[in-house]
Amino acid sequence: MSVILSTIVWAPLLFALVALFLPERDAEQRSRVRTIGLAGAGASFFVTTFFAILGQIGLGQGGGLASAYQENHTWFWNFLFQAHYDLVADGITLPLLVVVTTIFGVAMFHSWKIHERVRLYVILVLLLETAVNGVLCSSDFVLFAAFWGLLLVPMYLLIRIWGGDGARRAAAWFAGFHALSLALIIATVAIIVVEAGAQSSDMGADLATFSVTAETVGFWLSFIAFAIAMAIFPVHTWMLEAQSKASAGVATILSGTMLLLGAYGMMRISLVVFPVPAHYYSFAIIGLAVVGAFWGSIGALRQDELRRFIGYMNVAQMSLVLLAIGAQTSVALVGAVLLLAGQGFGSAMLTLVSGAIEERTRTTSIRAMGGLVTQAPRLAGFWMVAAASVIGVPLLAGFTGDFMVFAGSFPEHRIATVLVMSSIIVTTGGLLWVANRVFFGPVRDQFARVHDVTLLDLTVLIPLVAAVVLFGVRAGAVVPVIANGVLEITTRITGG
Amino acid sequence: MPPNFSHALTLALLPEAMLLGTALLSVLVALIRPGLRPDIHRWIACIGLVGSLAACGLVLLGLRHVPSGVAITVWDGGFVMDSFALFIAILACVTALLACLITDSAVRTIPSRSGAFYGLILVATAAVEAIGAEREMTTLFVSLAVLLVCLVALGALVKTNPRGAVSSFEHLIEGSVGLAAVLYGLALLYGITRSTDLAALAGYTPSASGATAIAVTLIVLGLCGTLGVFPLRQWVGRVATDVPAGASAFIISMSVIAGGAALARVTVAGLGPEISIWRWLVPIVAAVAIGHAAFSALREATVSRLIGQLVSAQAALLLLGLLAFGTGSRGLPADGMSAFLSGLGITAIATVAAFGVLAMLQVAGIGDTIEDVRGLGHRSAPAALLLTVAVATLGGVPPLAGFLSRVLLISSAADTHYGWLAVVAVGATVLTLIAAVRFVATLYSDAGDEVPFTLGATPPVSRIVAGAACLAGVALVVLIQPLLAVATAGAGTLR
Repeated sequence: MSVILSTIVWAPLLFALVALFLPERDAEQRSRVRTIGLAGAGASFFVTTFFAILGQIGLGQGGGLASAYQENHTWFWNFLFQAHYDLVADGITLPLLVVVTTIFGVAMFHSWKIHERVRLYVILVLLLETAVNGVLCSSDFVLFAAFWGLLLVPMYLLIRIWGGDGARRAAAWFAGFHALSLALIIATVAIIVVEAGAQSSDMGADLATFSVTAETVGFWLSFIAFAIAMAIFPVHTWMLEAQSKASAGVATILSGTMLLLGAYGMMRISLVVFPVPAHYYSFAIIGLAVVGAFWGSIGALRQDELRRFIGYMNVAQMSLVLLAIGAQTSVALVGAVLLLAGQGFGSAMLTLVSGAIEERTRTTSIRAMGGLVTQAPRLAGFWMVAAASVIGVPLLAGFTGDFMVFAGSFPEHRIATVLVMSSIIVTTGGLLWVANRVFFGPVRDQFARVHDVTLLDLTVLIPLVAAVVLFGVRAGAVVPVIANGVLEITTRITGG
Repeated sequence: MPPNFSHALTLALLPEAMLLGTALLSVLVALIRPGLRPDIHRWIACIGLVGSLAACGLVLLGLRHVPSGVAITVWDGGFVMDSFALFIAILACVTALLACLITDSAVRTIPSRSGAFYGLILVATAAVEAIGAEREMTTLFVSLAVLLVCLVALGALVKTNPRGAVSSFEHLIEGSVGLAAVLYGLALLYGITRSTDLAALAGYTPSASGATAIAVTLIVLGLCGTLGVFPLRQWVGRVATDVPAGASAFIISMSVIAGGAALARVTVAGLGPEISIWRWLVPIVAAVAIGHAAFSALREATVSRLIGQLVSAQAALLLLGLLAFGTGSRGLPADGMSAFLSGLGITAIATVAAFGVLAMLQVAGIGDTIEDVRGLGHRSAPAALLLTVAVATLGGVPPLAGFLSRVLLISSAADTHYGWLAVVAVGATVLTLIAAVRFVATLYSDAGDEVPFTLGATPPVSRIVAGAACLAGVALVVLIQPLLAVATAGAGTLR
């Protein structure tokens, strides 16, 4: 029995347990704790990357993905349904696992900027990584709900403890919305195990015996649950608060992984388990995508706070993913997964750069900044790379995703696709406007002593740049892997 | 000696006899050697509980060869040693054993009365075991009354402040009101059926009679008081706050087990589907109780009361399992009773865990308000971690055992056409989650006075037991199948 996926999921927790027993009285001990944390995140990252490459090779040789990366043990069976410890990594999961493990690795490097309560920080980040990896790999509804719930406490504490002014409120917003999302997922799971007639909570079980009412209710419950996590308009406010008040490292995890999980859940559960209502209500989904795209991009233009600006950008980006989910074509869904990867890396990089800017300028106001390119040219360069990726510049991670989403959505919903596409113009304008305000223009006296990126900044930003370029340049290699995973979704949607 | 005394009777009563005999021994030792160290009495009590467990094991051995799951029936079926009774007996013994081992701090204040203290613990445990096995109204009531007296006396015995005596008195009054309701209800049922046999109730009672409705309402509401849920649940908060945590762990967990067992015996085994009044009454009580406890948890300012409210919410959720028996929506057996019994086990252990950690904090001199534990993570990381796991388990925070128990209960309720109740339970789970998470955040987020402390003042045994009980909240997630298997076996004989 393969334990690859268990290793990816549980390795961070094991290292967290090790960190739990380490002292943190002086700088050396704190550094040791961070190293353990980095080892935990690194272990997960390297195993994921290694097997993602192997998976790609296997696919090239005609091998399937799902069978190679599957673990299944019966969890409990003396009940009205069986539950399984069932982990699967298919073509959708593997690339997203690479994204999240990379971002957690970066966040762990970023922990060297944390000087207070390092041990707790490292433990919570590792616990969060276990939850995130668990959500991505779960192929059982109860297991999925358990991992989804596990996200709550670590993320809440990370926002609240290491956040700035207003972090308490932001954490409360996050907790409220995430608890609601969890409750909706529990209700969805209850509907599935009771109504589907499979007597199993296995995601792979035959769930074809839903009544119309159960299917419709289940679809909307799951859709709202995942829409909350995706920060889709109008349930996006928690993310804006958390993004702007959490520390840079935590906000990186938030924008790089949490939103991605929402979209993943929507594809994995709302589309696969409830294909009929998903198709029937696709116009409503598309409508939300159009409104969200403009709300996000125009809202971003009105922001003066740098990280709130990135938050609105996330809302706009997620609306593109929602467009693909509404379109429900193979091309669009493959594009959505690529877009998630690009958004994860791009948003993480923007957040880290904005954190670095805030550290140096001691302000979050876009209007108060200016002329930083003179003192911090490399920092400006990183911002531009991230912005270019988010906009969808060719050869970077966002381009192929954007292109495929539009190509896949246009035949199904022409007007909506054109409208959402036009929102990218506003997004591009916003990113360039911010770059202009922050980095260019006359040098302000108060920022004359601002320094450029440090070695630590380079350590956290270079892997993200590499990932953005790699996903952009080698998109052709990643697409078949994702298409393999998307096949299951489209098969269910088309009733195959 | 009863006229039908036999080996069967001996075996059926052996678990209770072990406890009562040891209780007598404990009291005698206390009378003969008044100055004896409290921990000697504690170990005597533990031996009695282990003996009772061994006796349960003997019955279990006999039960292996009985397909019906009913090992021994004595007193014309009034006392049944079936797999349900065994489940309750074993759960009561294990919980009492754990609680006994964390009572050190409570007994330290009353060394001269420790014999009586552990004697009461043993008698109360025997009463709970008896409640699980009773199928006769009169003896069920007597067992409930004995339990109440023992629990109230325990609370009064270990009082460390004037409020302790008052809260025990209030517990007595509230418990008595509940018991009076049960007694009046049972008397009405006897008047209708001319029988005190619970198993024969369904056959005798006309389902739509007004007197039956009153009787059932009184019994259910009265037993809800023992279970620690609305409307007679004020005692939970008072005991949690005013009685030393070591003792309140036992009082609350035992009462929950007894209330759950009695409700299952009366409703599922006694009234059954034939007398349907309870099947619309219990959902209403459950909905109000779950909501009330969950909202109350959000408002609490003291740790002990917060734990009390979370226990109450968890106990109220158990009622969902009680409703889900018989056949489910797809014509398959509904497994609500399995969810109920496994939930009962998880609740009992989690209650001991939470109060066990609280006892350690009390010994270390930490106050009871949430302000007192603010920044506990800075001051004692192990204490904060244990308290986190205990409260998170009770609050239903995923992926701990409390969460899993809720998933089982909610899905079983949804399976038996109580979808609306499942929705209420999901909503209440959000509230308890928020209460638990907010509390956990207080432990870690805000620095308190930053004076570190250790749990060294608590004896190692108590520390290990409290830690193990907390770990059970994690371990039972992985080991839920054995617990469910045992619970399913226990539920099998209820009807």
